[in-house]
Amino acid sequence: MATSPVTRAAGRVAVPVLGLFWLAVTTVPFLFMVMTTFKTQQESYASSVWALPEGLNFVNYADVLSGPFLAYLKNSVMVVVISVLLIVLISAMAAYAFARMRFRFNEALFGLIVAGMIVPIHITLVPIYLMTRDMGLYDSPFALVGPYVATSLPISVFILTEFMRQIPKELEEAARLDGCGPFAIFFKIFLPLSGPGLSTVAIYNAIMLWNEFIFAYVLTSSTSTRTLPLAIWDYQGQYSSNIPAILAVVTLTSLPLVVAYAFGQEKIVKGMMAGSVKG
Amino acid sequence: MTSITLSGVNKSFGANFPVISGVDLKIDDGEFCVFLGPSGCGKSTLLRMVAGLETAYSGEIRIGDRVVDKVEPADREVAMVFQNYALYPHMSVYDNMAFGLRQAKTPKDEIDRRVREAARILQIEPLLDRMPKALSGGQRQRVAIGRAIVRQPKVFLFDEPLSNLDAALRVHMRSEIATLHRNFPAASMIYVTHDQTEAMALADKIVLLHAGKDMLKHGSIAQVGKPLDLYHRPRNLFVAGFLGSPTMNFIEASFAGQQADGARVALKSGEEIVVPVDGSTLAAGAAVTLGVRPEHLAPVAASGAALGAQTLTRRVSAVEHFGEYSFVYLDGGTPAPLIAKVAGDGGFKAGDSASFAAPADCCHLFDADGIALSHL
Repeated sequence: MATSPVTRAAGRVAVPVLGLFWLAVTTVPFLFMVMTTFKTQQESYASSVWALPEGLNFVNYADVLSGPFLAYLKNSVMVVVISVLLIVLISAMAAYAFARMRFRFNEALFGLIVAGMIVPIHITLVPIYLMTRDMGLYDSPFALVGPYVATSLPISVFILTEFMRQIPKELEEAARLDGCGPFAIFFKIFLPLSGPGLSTVAIYNAIMLWNEFIFAYVLTSSTSTRTLPLAIWDYQGQYSSNIPAILAVVTLTSLPLVVAYAFGQEKIVKGMMAGSVKG
Repeated sequence: MTSITLSGVNKSFGANFPVISGVDLKIDDGEFCVFLGPSGCGKSTLLRMVAGLETAYSGEIRIGDRVVDKVEPADREVAMVFQNYALYPHMSVYDNMAFGLRQAKTPKDEIDRRVREAARILQIEPLLDRMPKALSGGQRQRVAIGRAIVRQPKVFLFDEPLSNLDAALRVHMRSEIATLHRNFPAASMIYVTHDQTEAMALADKIVLLHAGKDMLKHGSIAQVGKPLDLYHRPRNLFVAGFLGSPTMNFIEASFAGQQADGARVALKSGEEIVVPVDGSTLAAGAAVTLGVRPEHLAPVAASGAALGAQTLTRRVSAVEHFGEYSFVYLDGGTPAPLIAKVAGDGGFKAGDSASFAAPADCCHLFDADGIALSHL
């Protein structure tokens, strides 16, 4: 469709302006958060909200790190790593079956798993709590792994199935002629070729689970078993009047995500777009 | 024994989509057989059934003395070269070629020896450490062939291996595949293409396949034989029209009677042509189709033939010059213009009236069902 020079000129101006506006909307709260962590409690009361800190004061970080923060961090890392590994392995195997194997009810089963995305996790809380308690896992970080894997599988299977459908069928056939069975085809051909899709699933789920609150809140109760989102919750009670300290907790908690996104954003976007356009 | 035998092979995708019908075929030891046909005729499907990548709905496939219908692809001792090469993108050229041997638990030394030998034959030794994405189309095709060679198969299967290459490279790789066939005389080869030039150039035997309604009516196989047999003695109108470029000229006519030197046919434009075929089964006046290839229509002045017998005179509607030869388009008596292929520029121009001799032995006659009448 032809566009007039005026429209094109307006587009050239509007796109960067809107981009800068959106950058401000997303960056300003983040900068405010980091900036405030360098203020003392008195300073935060005495100065204007937007005033710069008097210096680089790390007392809030020292304060937070001297508490049980590292225990929360250890639990978060452990739960997220185990969950993500399981999610990637299980969803990749399921995706391979849905993308490549011809069996009865393939489409129906795929539809059922993807439909799992629309189930609100809150209605599953009570049954999952009861099952966790009956299995003796209540108040253990491992109690979180099962629900995390289960609730993450639908979107992960969906993303990886679309990704694997794009791997040329001839590669699978060449592997069959080379003597590979289904498992060898999966581990030696499909898994290595699905790297970008697997990264997407891993990064996306790591971010979601790193921030997960409600299961952690319901299934754990001790400081030694809780994860970082609950740390913020706990610190909110402990430092109800110390805003710089709370923001130091939030900064430390979000730091791994910022790093992950900085290095992985291309893969996340690519993976999410898989299948949307013909390559 | 590396012969391949297909007996009563049928294949359909669902109840209403037969793609292969009643294929009975024997490919001899060391033979280079080309499956040729239009799009949708099932030639790739037939090849994939030999490879074990598709299962036949009914019938039997043998490789050597062994029935392979229920044998896994890897155990059929076949190697396949795919149209899009199907190289593993995450493996180097060396690993691509070695992959099948590693799967078969071949000793490392033996794998290395075979990969390097294949690389030497195909002149891809400097490429062994490269990844497929760093190769050109022709190099990728060689690696794909190399991957087939290292397995030392009894049967090589090629599924339109040259169709992704440009014209010049296609001609070059075609000669390399012919060389490969000479280097591995014991292995049988099946080669699928829709390009009749490739088929004519490479094949010991061509299997020309029907598509669509013809397949349902007559079965999949239109004709099997040596390339020149199919070209010079087509069994029916489909074969006659498929092989040759430009296609054979078809002229509607009626049977005027049988005489000692052949069947006499009367063209609608008034000429009478004698074709050396047995027309004894035809009734007088029966509708027939006369077929003459463009290169067999010789200008009367150049051929020295007498004007009259076996001569067609038409108005020239257009001339296409190609330097070495020219196509002369002739109007009159047929729905599509007749085409004559003449040497050089031919000296014709649009609007001329020109006479062309149709040598009796180069004429073909087809009955009302399109079946060729046998030559005397």
